[in-house]
Amino acid sequence: MTLTDLALYIILPILSVALILAVSRLIRGPKMPDRVVALDLMVTLGMGLIAVYAIATDQAVFLDVATVLALISFLGTTAFAYYLQRRPEA
Amino acid sequence: MSIETADLVTAVLLVIGAFFMFVGAVGVVRMPDLFMRMSATTKSVTLGVSFMLAAVAVHFNELGLGSRAIATIVFVFITAPIAAHMIGRAGYARQVELWHGTIADELRGRYDPETGELISKPPVHHPERLPSDGTD
Amino acid sequence: MTFFLLNVLLALAWAALTGQLTPENLIGGFLVGYALLAFSRRALGCTSYVTKVPKVISFILYFAVELFRANLRVAFEVLTPRQRMRPAIVAIPLDIRRDLEITLLASLITLTPGTLSLDVSSDRRVLYVHSMYVDDIDVFRREIKDGFERRVKELFT
Repeated sequence: MTLTDLALYIILPILSVALILAVSRLIRGPKMPDRVVALDLMVTLGMGLIAVYAIATDQAVFLDVATVLALISFLGTTAFAYYLQRRPEA
Repeated sequence: MSIETADLVTAVLLVIGAFFMFVGAVGVVRMPDLFMRMSATTKSVTLGVSFMLAAVAVHFNELGLGSRAIATIVFVFITAPIAAHMIGRAGYARQVELWHGTIADELRGRYDPETGELISKPPVHHPERLPSDGTD
Repeated sequence: MTFFLLNVLLALAWAALTGQLTPENLIGGFLVGYALLAFSRRALGCTSYVTKVPKVISFILYFAVELFRANLRVAFEVLTPRQRMRPAIVAIPLDIRRDLEITLLASLITLTPGTLSLDVSSDRRVLYVHSMYVDDIDVFRREIKDGFERRVKELFT
């Protein structure tokens, strides 16, 4: 089994299932903070997916996408948390 | 490092990373309240994604790429606790329910309702002085 | 800090002199530069830097091991059907005062799975921590104080 096979047929499906679980929490999440946590988790899982895809296709450029995604996810989560703290209802 | 060892190391790193990310996703579904969900997921997913980025660095084996991967790992490790801390605090401020099995909540009633300041009443091993003590 | 930069500069000089900018060369150069600084610590006055580097490295290793162990524990907890959590929010009195130290301690606590630092009191005397496994509140408090806080304090003195 080559590395590409491992990445495509084992790692990617595992991450996809994890993504589905995260989405289920995003839909169910009783309160807003739970949804933010699920969203944060999804973005991080996306970083993992990109890393695996970079290895599977031998394209190093995708690593930059993962870096940018990390930057954006931190900004997004911080903004959400700030918003949650400022608005008592909803 | 020969090609085979590099591939083997990459594969092992990928599998470990995928395991931790999967655990994080299961945790976010299974844990009963917000704080436990966060402590079960944020960290294991951060560790998982670091393993995957390390796998990328090992697989391509270039200095520029490796340094970028390491920079991303460091960034994720610095920002993940800050994000978790902010969500946790916002969640507590919005009075998210704690799980019924929670055995103690020493934060309750410590926020000043008007100013939002957090007072630090001394915990258990500094018992409050009796008013008749007189020596201050 | 300036001595750290000097050390990095020495590592770069080593890599430049050997003519190959590879990670192994940079690490080797860093080690050689560190040895050089350690030999000339009297002349340069960098004793605190020389003693601090092993401390920082051992701290990082300790933390990595701790992180991995705690992650496995939480993974076991998540994957097995029975749940035996005893969560609690605990107030931990702080001996450290400076913002940087408190930030580092709070981040380390948050990064360890199972614990999550929620807030610091406005006068920076108490850190509020949520933990998943608290058998005894006082024991947990002592564990944090003797483990992470002591090491953070050592790092900065």
